[in-house]
Amino acid sequence: MPEELEAFYGLPREVKFCRRCVISNQRPSSTVEFKNAKGVKKETIAFDDEGICAACRYVEMKEHQIDWAEREAQLIALCEQYRSKAGHYDCVVPGSGGKDSAFTAHVLKYKYGMHPLTVTWAPHIYTDIGFRNFQRWIGAGLDNVLFTPNGKLHRLLTRLAFENLMHPFQPFIVGQRHIAPKYSALYGIPLVFYGENQAEYGNNIEENFKPTMDPKFYESDGDLAQVVLGGVPAEALISQYGVSLNELQPYLPANRDKLRATGTTVHYLGYYLKWDPQECYYYAAEHTGFGVNDERTEGSYSKYSSIDDRIDPLHYYTTWIKFGIGRATYDASQEIRNRKITREEGVALVQRYDHEFIHKYFREILDYMDISEERFWEVINAGRSPHLWTSVGGEWRLRHAVWMGEATQGRGAES
Amino acid sequence: MSERGAPRAAIVDYGVGNLYSVRSACAAVGLLAEITGEKAAILAADAVIVPGMGAFGDAMDTLRRMDLIEPLREIAAAGTPLIGICLGMQLFMSESEEFGHHQGLGVIPGPVVRFATPHQRSEELKVPHVGWARIAPARAVSSWSEWPLQGIDSGEYMYFVHSYYAVPSEPEVVFSVSRYGDIGFCSSLKRGNVFACQFHPERSGPKGLQVYRNIADHITGHPPATVKTNA
Amino acid sequence: MSVRIIPRLEIKGPTLVKGVHLEGLRVLGSPEEFARFYYEQGADELLYVDVVASLYQRNSLLEMIERTSREIFIPLAVGGGLRSIDDIRAGLRAGADKVSINTAAIRNPQLIRDAATRFGSSTIVVSIEAKQRPDGSYEAYVDAGRERTGVEVLGWAQKVAELGAGEIIITSIDREGTGRGFDLELTRRVSELVPIPVIASGGAGRITDVIEVLTAGKADAVALSSLLHYQYLALARPNGSGLESGPPMASTKGYHSSSRILPASLPELKRHLEDAGLECRVAPVGAVRE
Repeated sequence: MPEELEAFYGLPREVKFCRRCVISNQRPSSTVEFKNAKGVKKETIAFDDEGICAACRYVEMKEHQIDWAEREAQLIALCEQYRSKAGHYDCVVPGSGGKDSAFTAHVLKYKYGMHPLTVTWAPHIYTDIGFRNFQRWIGAGLDNVLFTPNGKLHRLLTRLAFENLMHPFQPFIVGQRHIAPKYSALYGIPLVFYGENQAEYGNNIEENFKPTMDPKFYESDGDLAQVVLGGVPAEALISQYGVSLNELQPYLPANRDKLRATGTTVHYLGYYLKWDPQECYYYAAEHTGFGVNDERTEGSYSKYSSIDDRIDPLHYYTTWIKFGIGRATYDASQEIRNRKITREEGVALVQRYDHEFIHKYFREILDYMDISEERFWEVINAGRSPHLWTSVGGEWRLRHAVWMGEATQGRGAES
Repeated sequence: MSERGAPRAAIVDYGVGNLYSVRSACAAVGLLAEITGEKAAILAADAVIVPGMGAFGDAMDTLRRMDLIEPLREIAAAGTPLIGICLGMQLFMSESEEFGHHQGLGVIPGPVVRFATPHQRSEELKVPHVGWARIAPARAVSSWSEWPLQGIDSGEYMYFVHSYYAVPSEPEVVFSVSRYGDIGFCSSLKRGNVFACQFHPERSGPKGLQVYRNIADHITGHPPATVKTNA
Repeated sequence: MSVRIIPRLEIKGPTLVKGVHLEGLRVLGSPEEFARFYYEQGADELLYVDVVASLYQRNSLLEMIERTSREIFIPLAVGGGLRSIDDIRAGLRAGADKVSINTAAIRNPQLIRDAATRFGSSTIVVSIEAKQRPDGSYEAYVDAGRERTGVEVLGWAQKVAELGAGEIIITSIDREGTGRGFDLELTRRVSELVPIPVIASGGAGRITDVIEVLTAGKADAVALSSLLHYQYLALARPNGSGLESGPPMASTKGYHSSSRILPASLPELKRHLEDAGLECRVAPVGAVRE
């Protein structure tokens, strides 16, 4: 029966859940966001013959196959190669002052003796705790450039991304991903450090064995025709939405020639150090005064992850609608892999929180995008893929959930 | 354990109380103990332990309903070792002022009274008294040579949880005394086969267990435990 | 009047965990192994808290309580996920001497009175997780610091005492796990307000913090976790061997505590308390396991 149902976004028709964590095979891999357009078929997380997802397999390798002492030695050598002895910055670290970037920048400076310049692409709307953590991060002894994009355009692009792609975070991700390489070129600082590789969460597993980010994610030859923002080609934004080329600059990829001239390379610190988000939290709480939210985040059980942006809850709500993967699923999968919780606990958490609606900032989110509540639901409901959702008596229900039990799940998938 | 075939203690189950930690302590010293509310089993036991937590009046009501008041008095009179712990000790007394006036088992004459509450006193004392306090031999006793405190040093710490304490009217039954703030009180009493303590030996660490070991040795007729303290 | 030092063991499934602000729970080892060690070291009581019970709507501590109470002869208090009189009875039957309730008490304050009547006041400990609001007042939280309740802490503490609780354990979420010291103001205000003993929890980074909360903070007892746990880990797992997921990143050793926490052993701590003029039970030297 699921075979006959249409699957949006090019998602796999048959829904499977990893036998080790709680992620489903509907999770898309990272894409080149500035080319992300409507109807592009999504690459999704790989499951092997035993029904284990690529992210779980990679954690296995992290535990057993990778020589972390040797990797750290590589990091020390890399730092040695780039370290400035003339009083200059020698690496760019993008981030918000959340636990991961707090760890990255602080450990590079205070443990590995680098001189980082941190750069921040501002959240849509700072939360109080997010701004406080940002301030504390800088206050802990780091230089920072805070880049805040034109609010009028950013709101427009966010709305378009929501309406066209149901991916309201696309403009944010585009800006955020480009900013560090751009500052690398601007200030002539060739080394850029990201935290963990997103591949750890389920892209092609081989990506984890490269220390650097593929430049395709952040560079271009300047051809405007290749850029799509909020599902609208850049040229159409100019011709139809009255956006100027200058206004688009923050969202455009870095110029390839400038990057080559600078020698920019983007390294993942997670390649060199065995990444553990919880340990980043401990480090940040101790060294940069990072604080957690006053209460757990809607849609999940955690208090410390992705807490700096009031629009952020919408991002996870849309992934729940599009892929059946809510925020608790992301949090729990990561924690199962890193052996913080058991799968049984993860399943319970997903059942309890994944579906939770984002009441807290909902009005602000609507105001930010300047859309009505009716329009919001119109977009949301149009984005529910028939292979994932069914309407029972006017109420939307997921056809498959990790907590529905292996037995029914298996039958549903195989019949 | 015993050559003369397993003496058995009864732990009186009257609904509430720390029955399980008492049983664990008995087990730890090799004393067979059964949790029971049956009159016959209690009367047949080689020793009877009355544990307890909770309210005096409710406990007496329950004992009455279970028809255990007379059997417990009989045991006290018959010479079978009878041990009261915490509320169990208080129940041995003749009366209590807890939530009104209640008659006790009357095995030991004297009332049970409450620690004065903070606003009644100059020094602030939290009630209930929860924690460890030293026990010392009462004036009538220079050191403990009788069961079950033989081998326990004066000044040893025991664990207490209580808002009330017994005031025996016959000073000679007072076996140990303790202090809470500036209040001295009777922390254990002994008269022949009857021993009762306000503290919880089953929750008082190795020294508390020694009290149980002494009880076990007394019942089984083994020599006093003073020589095998840290066995 | 002696003060009590109560190791607080936060438990998740079969493991001992420890967080910061009750978040980011590190798996540290077997609770029973730590419990035995603390018993031998002269702990005055033990507190087992299933920190995720409310999160998972379960109560899975019973077997562990049974095993622990058979071999550890000091008071054992148990909390986390106890929702009803039946749950409390089950915890006591398994061998706990006291129970600690939070979420269920806030949702249904009458449970405190019912439980105190049924099992005795001294059996019922009410746990209050407090977080300071911007205006300086404190709000009570439930579900291990994850859900706010709108309930003001001081009023709640007073009500808890009136309803018949035997003790209050007050935890500062802001300080918990950080080693920045106890919230003295919070502890003192609660302790002065209620006629029942108050156990301070959350924030101990060093021995002087413990002394401060027992004197200036007017606490009657102290619950400790990081301070003691990391001491034991350093002793028992100097190279991080046996840890659930091996040594953490950027460290060739095992879990270390935050630099704000100077771990201490129970005997060491008690020596300092005595030096500060605080009476406490010092366990017999070389106390043996029975």
